[in-house]
Amino acid sequence: MSEQQNERAYQKQAAVFLNAKSASKKSTRWYKDIGLGFKTPTTAIEGTYIDKKCPFTSDVSIRGRILTGTVKSTKMTNTVILRREYLHYIPKYQRYEKRHKNIAAHLSPAFIGVEVGDTVTVGQCRPLSKTIRFNVIKHQKQQQKGSKQFQKF
Amino acid sequence: MSAHVRFDPPPPDIRTAARFVLEARPKPPADLGSRISRDSRHKRSHTGAKRAQYRKKRKFELGRQAANTKLGPKRIHEVRVRGGNKKFRAMRLESGTYSWGSEAVSRSTRIVAVVYNASNNELVRTNTLVKGAIVQIDATPFRQWYENRYAKVLGKKKRQAAEEDKSDATKARSRHLLAKIAARKGAVDPALDSQFGSGRLYAIITSRPGQSGRCDGYVLEGKELEFYLRKIRNKK
Repeated sequence: MSEQQNERAYQKQAAVFLNAKSASKKSTRWYKDIGLGFKTPTTAIEGTYIDKKCPFTSDVSIRGRILTGTVKSTKMTNTVILRREYLHYIPKYQRYEKRHKNIAAHLSPAFIGVEVGDTVTVGQCRPLSKTIRFNVIKHQKQQQKGSKQFQKF
Repeated sequence: MSAHVRFDPPPPDIRTAARFVLEARPKPPADLGSRISRDSRHKRSHTGAKRAQYRKKRKFELGRQAANTKLGPKRIHEVRVRGGNKKFRAMRLESGTYSWGSEAVSRSTRIVAVVYNASNNELVRTNTLVKGAIVQIDATPFRQWYENRYAKVLGKKKRQAAEEDKSDATKARSRHLLAKIAARKGAVDPALDSQFGSGRLYAIITSRPGQSGRCDGYVLEGKELEFYLRKIRNKK
């Protein structure tokens, strides 16, 4: 329990009242279904982390755009930078050029083992910081290319 | 005689006449002395580029001076905000409504002192009331409610020695009422009990005094109380 209380203020979920007299043995945890067919991970439901920007265990709502991208960097605390590539058409030459945009997205502690190169789905939410307007809602691991492991498909 | 221009005759009383003259002057627009703006156009962009200034500050981007609500006799300034609505900027407050969560009671109590602030120790030293600050509140309304309801004395040692007969716990009650009281379970955490003994409860402010003009919150209990007690003890 003390691993969550690393800040100077007491970390807790706003929606949970911790001090009811008739306290049930199971510790109450608040989580929600973010909608749009996205499954809330079991790590979010069973975990003990407190994250006020997690889409599953706090009151940030996912609405607006849903985008995907590849993870470019995970060096920031609780956030990832995605790289989204696209082709831009030049009418004069009737050809395309490669362009990319980087997006900063908040990464909830519910997602563990997110590494550079993984594919990630992010949903738009309210501004969480100067550059973060997206929140990671799904994570697909990168396929091992050319590894000796037998892959069945 | 032209009927277009009409002057209202000044009132006969000299004091109101003076005020009449003063109020006739155009008032300066509010809060432009501080010129605080909440825009992001002055900040560098996500890529690090410096953004050129292409327009002046707009009124919808305005910010106002912080309230820095202190403890003292109530002083609240009313502010007209966007849309014609009002905000109540509490400059000084001395009481608020605090609720004792596990017992589900709320009482209006006096705030004694600011004891801890996670953001800034300066705010503790100057007794500034902000949301999230830990304060000490007067415990008497809660103690009176508890003794009335459960007929038990809180904060045993000191109080019993002082006033055995006066407390609500020992007043005369009907048999029917006594039976009802016996059925109620009034167990109190020892940490809270000792706070009742000293007459001061630890509470956290959950309202925003500079916005709503109120300093309300809830009494700290359980793990949260332990956490903050440890923080306060480590400071000293």
